[in-house]
Amino acid sequence: MIVLQKYLKQSATYKIFSHLLVVLAGFLETLGQIAQLGFHTLKCVLKGEIDRKELITQCDRFGVSSLPITLSIVGMTSIIVASQVANEMVKQGGGNFVGMLMTILIVREVGSIMSGFAITSMIGSSLASELATMRVTEQVDAIKVLDVDPVRYLFVPRVLSGAIMMPFVVILASVVGVILGAVTSDMFAGLSYRAYFDSAGLGLFMKDLGVCLLKSIVFGAAIALISCTCGYHASGGAKGVGLATTKAVVWSFISVVVLDMVFAILFFF
Amino acid sequence: MSIEVKNLVKSFDDKTVINDISFKVDDGEVLAIVGFSGSGKSTVLKLICGLIPYDNGEVITSEGDIAMVFQYSALFDSLDVADNIAFALKERKDLRNKYRDDEIRKIVSEKLELVGLKGIESKFPSELSGGMQKRVSFARAIVTKPNTILYDEPTAGLDPMSSTLIEDYIVSLKHEINAASIVVTHQMSTITRTADRVIMLYDGKIVFEGTPAELLKQETPYTKQFVTASLEGPMQMQA
Repeated sequence: MIVLQKYLKQSATYKIFSHLLVVLAGFLETLGQIAQLGFHTLKCVLKGEIDRKELITQCDRFGVSSLPITLSIVGMTSIIVASQVANEMVKQGGGNFVGMLMTILIVREVGSIMSGFAITSMIGSSLASELATMRVTEQVDAIKVLDVDPVRYLFVPRVLSGAIMMPFVVILASVVGVILGAVTSDMFAGLSYRAYFDSAGLGLFMKDLGVCLLKSIVFGAAIALISCTCGYHASGGAKGVGLATTKAVVWSFISVVVLDMVFAILFFF
Repeated sequence: MSIEVKNLVKSFDDKTVINDISFKVDDGEVLAIVGFSGSGKSTVLKLICGLIPYDNGEVITSEGDIAMVFQYSALFDSLDVADNIAFALKERKDLRNKYRDDEIRKIVSEKLELVGLKGIESKFPSELSGGMQKRVSFARAIVTKPNTILYDEPTAGLDPMSSTLIEDYIVSLKHEINAASIVVTHQMSTITRTADRVIMLYDGKIVFEGTPAELLKQETPYTKQFVTASLEGPMQMQA
């Protein structure tokens, strides 16, 4: 029996299973931390415990400084999609629907999901590394010892700025995407701007705009909350900061995709 | 009595770091906690101020604030010196609306003067030397007039003159605000110049309790090994 136990402990299957259990436990732990800190943040927001000065600083960081990269990513994705779609549709006689297709695609999906990815890589990573550095240099401990709620001070302005600024970023990025789609369709498929924009509004309804806005609010808050949580629970030194940042980016990317899927199921099925 | 620790126990995973220790610190008294690295000194401070929960025992403190001076100062690097010192006055729930901006500026200026750093309000922590950062963290700690101050290796990594300066502040604060203070250190000058009493930790337990003079007498194998910094003795360094 002991020999068998020894063999099992050394076997690759045992190692893989124990590693899987560790990964699963870590996943559940992170999920719990996000839920707990998210609930605490929401409680502070509902109580009106908001530092307005810090909120403006974070809004500037979230919305303004991320704009160049977000517009670039959404714009270039729109160019890629339009270059593939416009040519084929014009060939098949569906040129009049290119604008409609591009607008639906950008407003419903490309604008918000690509902005989510851009914001994650730029702002999410920066939030996570900032809070992780504060954690490993005992600044978070100092906040607690000074009897200040670290969630109110660190999370509330960051998460709220994500929820406030993300819709603006997504709207602007979507507008840029639709315009670049028109330019690309004209260049690659010879589709006139008039034909493109005449159909652009045909498939778009208030529901699409509403869902787009709601989705971007949720994406913004989720990215900020996840990034702050990963940073807040960092441990160790420089390595811990790096690990927390990686974790924040991975979790934020996954959350954007999962939330997008949930929205698609809830509103478009 | 300002701080009383009773039968405190703390374990991390399977390792018991603090194993049933008890001690008291009175108002206006400075207690030094000494011991080799890894003996649980800083953990005791974190347990007292509630940064980590203890498994068993009790920590009783008098009503009022607990302040802590961290080993590496732990100043907020995104805030300037003035905002660092005024942090609790601006952000703490019960103090947030108590002071006007000009009152806060005056308090900050007073605290900076107390630690000999007048006029550096607009500087950021990265622009200060290690000793200056430590003094700013002193000013931040005392801004709420605490009745308990915890110092985590306040003189570690400082040059001898800066160390002396910090030790003088600890003594002068003891007289000025009559706070109960605990200094975690392994620097002999800090022990002899600041402490009224000393406890030595080893393997999570108190192995010596007495005055700095009694520590220097080296009457027990533990005190002898600590004072002479010898590798031979009952205390083994952890690998």
